[in-house]
Amino acid sequence: MAENSADPALAEDDDHHDTLWVAPEESPLTVVAHRVRMRYKVPRTDRAPRSGLLGRLAPRRSMVSVSAVRGVDLLVREGEFVGIIGRNGSGKSTLLRMLAGVEPPTSGSIYTSARPQLLGVSAALMSDLTGAENIKLGFLALGMTPEKAEELVPQAAELSALGEAVDLPMRTYSSGMSSRLKFAISVMAQPRILMVDEALSTGDATFSKRSKSKMDELLEDAGTVFMVNHAPRAIENVCSRVIWMERGRVVMDGDTKEVSAMYRSFTYRMARDREDEAMAILREAIEHGEAQRAASALTLPEDHAPVAPDNVPELEPDPFTSIFELQMRAQSFPGTLQPRGRRAATRPAPATTPTTDKRGRHS
Amino acid sequence: MNEVKSTSEVKRALEAKGLDPSGLARIGVRPSLGEYLQQLWQRRHFIWYDSRHRASTQNSRMHLGNVWLFLRPLIDAAFYFVIFGLVLKIGKGMENFPAFLIIGILLYRSTATSITSGTGLLRSNKAMIKAFTFPRASIPISAVLQATMTAVFTTMVMCFAIMVIPPFALPQISWVLVIPIFLIQAVLNLGLMLITARIGFHVPDMANVLAVVSRFLMYGSGVMFPIERFLDNETALSIVTLNPLYQIIDMMRTVLLDGQVPDLRAWIISIVSAVGILVVGFIYFWRAEESYGRELG
Repeated sequence: MAENSADPALAEDDDHHDTLWVAPEESPLTVVAHRVRMRYKVPRTDRAPRSGLLGRLAPRRSMVSVSAVRGVDLLVREGEFVGIIGRNGSGKSTLLRMLAGVEPPTSGSIYTSARPQLLGVSAALMSDLTGAENIKLGFLALGMTPEKAEELVPQAAELSALGEAVDLPMRTYSSGMSSRLKFAISVMAQPRILMVDEALSTGDATFSKRSKSKMDELLEDAGTVFMVNHAPRAIENVCSRVIWMERGRVVMDGDTKEVSAMYRSFTYRMARDREDEAMAILREAIEHGEAQRAASALTLPEDHAPVAPDNVPELEPDPFTSIFELQMRAQSFPGTLQPRGRRAATRPAPATTPTTDKRGRHS
Repeated sequence: MNEVKSTSEVKRALEAKGLDPSGLARIGVRPSLGEYLQQLWQRRHFIWYDSRHRASTQNSRMHLGNVWLFLRPLIDAAFYFVIFGLVLKIGKGMENFPAFLIIGILLYRSTATSITSGTGLLRSNKAMIKAFTFPRASIPISAVLQATMTAVFTTMVMCFAIMVIPPFALPQISWVLVIPIFLIQAVLNLGLMLITARIGFHVPDMANVLAVVSRFLMYGSGVMFPIERFLDNETALSIVTLNPLYQIIDMMRTVLLDGQVPDLRAWIISIVSAVGILVVGFIYFWRAEESYGRELG
C-alpha cells in the first residue's frame, strides 16, 4: 500500500477518516449472499451491415448473454456501513437490487434478517401527485397504517428539505429533489437494512450532511447500510467496509482505507491510459482479496461449483478468467463461471505479466 | 456433489463457520399464496389511496379536468346515437336500438380497456415497483379500482343517456340491479387485467394480439347487434352465452330496458365465470411475483 501514497488523487482525502463509522466487533448477520449471479439475455445489433444479399436481409440482431454479476458471496453484519465501489458497468447496482430483493438472481440465494429498503435513482414515483402525497403513498406501500403515515408525513417533508416544493406535483421535481424525497420516505420508515444506490450523490451539501447523520442513527440502531457509488470519495468518507467490484465479481472486500486506496490507484492509472499498470494493480488486489472472498464463501465439505452455461453466447467472456486462472486450479473460487472454451484459451497467460486482452472498455 | 443450494444447506454452512443463521429469511422468492394474500390485505390502505388519487388526478393535465369523467361517455353515447340511430338507422324493428347500443358499447369498453391497459401496466409503474417492496398485485388491483371509480360516472351517464334519448327508457325498480351487475363486471375486469398484466410484462408484443382479441370479444358479446339474430346454429349460440361479458351486457339490457330481473342462468354464468377468471388470473399473476422488478426481459 506504500506506493499508493504517491498518488496525488489520494493525498487530499485523509482528513475525513476520523468521522468514519466503526462497526461493532460482534453482531448478528443481516445479509447473506450465496453465489449470486445475474445474467441478462439481450438483443445485440451489429454496427456494420453484413455483406451480401443474405446479410442485408437477415437481421443483424442476435441474442447475447450479459453477465452482470458473476458469483458474489457476502456476509454482512449489523452495524456495518458497506460501500460498494467499481467502475460503471461493474455490477454494483445489479448486486444491490438483488440484495434488496427487487430483482431475483439468476442463480444463488440471498438471505436477510429484515426487508431491505432500496433507494435507487429512478424517475418520479407518481408524477401527478404532489411530493407530500407521494410521501404518504410510499409509507402506505411500505405497509404502514394510514394514521402512522399521516403522522410521519410532516417529518419526512422536513427531512427532505424541499420546503414549499413538497406541495407541487412530482413531475416538476429535479432528479436531486426526487431522490431527496425518496430518501426521506425510506429513512422515516426506519428500515433495518437500507441500500442506497448513487441516489444521494445528486443531493447538495446541506442534504448530504443531514442524510449522513440519519444513516448514522440507523446504524446505531443496529441497522445495516449499503451504499453504491463509482466515486471512492463518496464512499470512503462514510463507510466502514468497502467492496470493490469489477466485471460482476468482488475484487476486494474489507477495510475502507485499504480497499479504496487500491481502487483509487487503479482508476487513477485507468484514467491516464496506463492500462498495464492498472491491470497489475487489479491483479494484486484480486490476490489480496482472495482470503476475504474465501471467508465469505459458504461451503460444505467437498464442495465445488459446476455451472453449465446455456447455449446463448456471452457478450464479454469473464475477463477475470486469465487473472484468476492460477487460483482456480489450486482452490475453488466462489462462482467460477466459465464460458465454454475460454479455459483452454487463457491458460497460457503467464502469471507475472498482467493480461491486457479482453479487458473491454472502461467507461 | 455437495453443493450448497437449499436454505437448510446455507444455514448449515453458516453454522459451520460459527455464525448464527437464525433470523435470516430468503429474499427475492415469491411468498406462499396465503402469505401473499395476507400481505395484500396489509396493503389495502395503499391500494385504496393509490387508486383514489389516480382516479382524481387522471384528468389533472387536461383543462376541463374531471368534467371529462362525464363528458367522455356522453360524447361516446351521442356519437353512437347519431351514427347508428339517426344516420344508418340500423336496428329497425328493435324497440330501443340507441339505448341497446349505448349500454353495449359502454360496458364493452370498460372490459376492453382492462384487457388492453393491463399489458403495459407493470412497465408504467416501474418507479413504484423499484422503489418499494410490496405485493405487486396491488398495482392491477388499484388500476381496476381506479377504472371502477371512473366507471361509476360512466354508468350514471349511461342511465341518464337512455332516459333522454328517444324512445325514453324510464327508471324502474329493476334499475337497482345495475349495482350487482356493475360489481360482477369489476370482478371480471380484475381477473382479466391480472392475466394481461403478466402476459404483457413477459411479452410486450401481446399488446397487439390482445387488441385483436378484444375486438373479437366485441363481436362475440353482442355489443352492436343482438347476436341471436345472426347465429342460428344451436352450438355456436350456446358457446356465446357462456361468454361472461355477453351475459353481463345482456343482463344490463334486461334490467334497464325491459325492466325485468335477469334469469338465474345468466346470474350463475356471469358470477361463476367472473370469479373463476379472477382466481385463475390471481394465481397466474402471483406465480411470477418475484420477477416483476426485473430490469430486462
